[in-house]
Amino acid sequence: MISVGQQLIVAAIPVLPALVFVVLALFGRYLRESAQFVAIFGIATSLVFSVFSLYFVIRTQTPIDFAVDWIDLGAGGAFPMGVYVDGLAAVMLVVVCFVSLMIQLYSGGFMQGDKRFAWYYAVLNLFTASMLGLVVAPNFIELYVFWELVGLCSYLLIGHWFERPSAARAAQKAFVVTRVGDAALFIGIIMFWRATGTTSFQGISDAAQAGFIGGSLFTTAVILVFVGAVGKSAQFPLHVWLPDAMEGPTPVSALIHAATMVAAGVYLVARTYDIFVQSPAAMLVVAYIGGFTALMAATMAVTKKDIKRVIAYSTVSQLGYMMLALGIGSYTAGIFHLYNHAFFKALLFLGAGSIIYAMNSYNLTEMGGLRRRMPVTFWTMVVAGLSLAGIFPLSGFWSKDAILAASFEEHFYVLYAMALLTVFLTAFYIFRAIFMAFTGEPRTEGAREATESPGIMTGPMVLLALLSVVSGWVGIPALLGTEEGGFFERLVQLSPFADETLALEGHEFSYVLAIISIAAALLGIGLAYFLYVREPERAAGLARRFAPVYAFLDRGWYFDALYDVVFVRPALALGRGVREFDRRALGGFVSGVGSGTSGLGERLRRLQTGGAQNYALFILVSVLVIGVIVGAQYTFLVVALIALITLVTVAVGARL
Amino acid sequence: MPPQAQQLLDALNQTIPLEGYLIVGAIMFAIGAYGALVRRNAVVVFMCIELMINAVNLSLVAFSDYLPDAGGAGAGYAVLVIAVAAAEVAVGLAVVLAVYRSRKTVNVDEVNLMKW
Amino acid sequence: MILAFAFLAGMTLVSALGVVLSRNVVHSALFMSGSFLGIAGFFVMLNAPALAAFQVLIYVGAVTVVILFGIMFTQRPQVRRYRTIIQRQHWPGFFVAVGIGAFLAYIVAIADWTGTGPGNGPRGVDALGNILLGVNGAPPIFGLLFEVASVLLLVAIVAAIVVSRRKTGEGVDRGVEE
Repeated sequence: MISVGQQLIVAAIPVLPALVFVVLALFGRYLRESAQFVAIFGIATSLVFSVFSLYFVIRTQTPIDFAVDWIDLGAGGAFPMGVYVDGLAAVMLVVVCFVSLMIQLYSGGFMQGDKRFAWYYAVLNLFTASMLGLVVAPNFIELYVFWELVGLCSYLLIGHWFERPSAARAAQKAFVVTRVGDAALFIGIIMFWRATGTTSFQGISDAAQAGFIGGSLFTTAVILVFVGAVGKSAQFPLHVWLPDAMEGPTPVSALIHAATMVAAGVYLVARTYDIFVQSPAAMLVVAYIGGFTALMAATMAVTKKDIKRVIAYSTVSQLGYMMLALGIGSYTAGIFHLYNHAFFKALLFLGAGSIIYAMNSYNLTEMGGLRRRMPVTFWTMVVAGLSLAGIFPLSGFWSKDAILAASFEEHFYVLYAMALLTVFLTAFYIFRAIFMAFTGEPRTEGAREATESPGIMTGPMVLLALLSVVSGWVGIPALLGTEEGGFFERLVQLSPFADETLALEGHEFSYVLAIISIAAALLGIGLAYFLYVREPERAAGLARRFAPVYAFLDRGWYFDALYDVVFVRPALALGRGVREFDRRALGGFVSGVGSGTSGLGERLRRLQTGGAQNYALFILVSVLVIGVIVGAQYTFLVVALIALITLVTVAVGARL
Repeated sequence: MPPQAQQLLDALNQTIPLEGYLIVGAIMFAIGAYGALVRRNAVVVFMCIELMINAVNLSLVAFSDYLPDAGGAGAGYAVLVIAVAAAEVAVGLAVVLAVYRSRKTVNVDEVNLMKW
Repeated sequence: MILAFAFLAGMTLVSALGVVLSRNVVHSALFMSGSFLGIAGFFVMLNAPALAAFQVLIYVGAVTVVILFGIMFTQRPQVRRYRTIIQRQHWPGFFVAVGIGAFLAYIVAIADWTGTGPGNGPRGVDALGNILLGVNGAPPIFGLLFEVASVLLLVAIVAAIVVSRRKTGEGVDRGVEE
């Protein structure tokens, strides 16, 4: 059983960064550059606490679960605020805290001299607090609160340099697109709540099993929740915001758009897995959207010249892998890939940031020959690239291979084909970027002048590179008859209910499939080497020859253009229409009332003749009118009223 | 006494119905209202107001005589009305005098500073 | 009875018309007192002789005199044409007055007056006195009203004096220009 002290420690994990946010928001002006120390202290402490909670969960084999009443509506339902940490959540806590710590160390160097240094750290910590809160949430409402907070922090951070119009636009685009997903998620939550009366994950799962919510209504609600995940994790069709979000500072991209926030969508599906498995249709939707997104994003990354955009599309693609895994039932494989991906993707971004810091440019065609000038960056990027491509024995291989094997063995051959093709493309584009940036001769002056980044930036990079190699080793499956199952698999596993529902058979490690996937990756690296190191003119020639295809891929399959025509332009037109209506109709109405009143007053003014006898006449006429109305029969009433009104008009007319 | 004369005397001795007094009061009130609305001299307007008050008094006293449950209270009210009317005449004429002193006219038409 | 009623009604109404239509202000005042006398006669017919005495004393005696004083102080008595004394709104005023009169008469005529008969008025001064003071069966509110009326008369006297006071520095008023 967990003691109160331990509960406080676990509860402090999201609270500490939130406190740091408050302190930095209030006193940032005075702290300036020393804000980083406050922040690092806070996140380091949270990391220690997270490790503690992980240790606790591993040791006691039971999840940490406690809650307090937050809103109690009596008959309307109760919404508690709580903490639920099982293996999945404990791993996420450690990953989020660790990556956040690395990013905050790195930012000390990258963001030096920035105008809003302390505010940057403040929002970064608020984001970390929200993400941690999201991870420990035991029910939909608490999750949604932190979900929204995370989206807000993403908006603030993407638009950190809001003086740049492109950054402001990108922040707005991110917020609006994820809003679509958030709205769907909220509708799903409401549907679940209405049908089952509770919002806790466990409660809804139990209620669904008991049949409180059935058939198509259940599937619809589950798919709506998945749409929320699609928005947050930038899957098709809500993927358009992530490449533009690269307008934010690079450490932000590393933290939010590689390791943590975009993982929130995957985490949501994993958290509510007990609910998802009860709807086979929803699971298929998840898997196919994931697979399609993986392939689509990989094709879009092939032509990009902005190094950060290549990595951004890579994130979308890898998240597709995770969704694919979850969709076909390989819960552990999906989460394993999430955990590995956090490290090597963050490292890729930090490497890109290092290049940008040294060269002040993010354009691949302006780089070249940085291998000798920035050796640490080069080697860490290579490690990350190999891990991303899935080369044995780095971490990426183990998780990717698990997903590929699972899709093949569960007979999802279409998905397997898509995933294998994506492996090839992934290896190709990442090494295209690496070769273009680091090999050959420097193409511009900036590249020639570049030097290695300061230690505070390369330190975290080296640490992450180390992790990119070894983090996968906790999940090495049973090999050659050694102990059954990997360590990771025991820690993060399906609940007994889900296991039973999915009824997956365990599989032996397949050497054949492993060799196939490594071969595909090597093929991709080889093609990149050939096109970008050996014969660079070939690449340009190919681009010219297949110009429409090149444009199609470069423009992101024209999704942005499509959304612009279908959604953005009508919305703007509607806005203009509403503005005109407001100005003309409502404004006109209000002014009309005003001018009507003053016009009426102008005419009625004539009644004030100043003569007491006129007033007496009006009084007597009114008395007659009242008397007639009260006392008389109808015909007499009408005749008398007409006569009286004529009288008054004559009287007033006779005055003038 | 010849019978026709007796009949005539009986006819002439009939009690007046209540409506008679009230209608006379109504007509007198109307005449007073006409005069109050139409005459230009302020003092004449006053006199017409007095006519209206008297018409009301007449109605009150008629009711006091004819209604069985009132106990003659209408006459008491009439006395109070007379008192108030007398007070009103005093003050009103004082005002007319004051206006006459500053404007040298009692023509109601010319006291119209409150015109728009 | 009817003869007396007819005679008094005619006197009262003709005098009232005389007040309104007379071109001479003093004639109007005298017509007014004639109308008051008619009303006093009515009061006698209605079994309230004490009230008739009050009417004559106060109205014919005091109010007429005060109004004559007011006339004397304020203007020339004789004018030539009707247009000088009658307002431009005389047609609307006429119709309104006719309307009011007709309306009141109509209301009175259609009401149900069964059960009423003469004879309930205060025949003697002691009866009127009882009523005025609110004792011996009369509504007790009359006591308060009586006292308030006397205070009102006091206030009116003081007000009349204050309002019509001649300010220091003003000359004696001359006659009105024609």
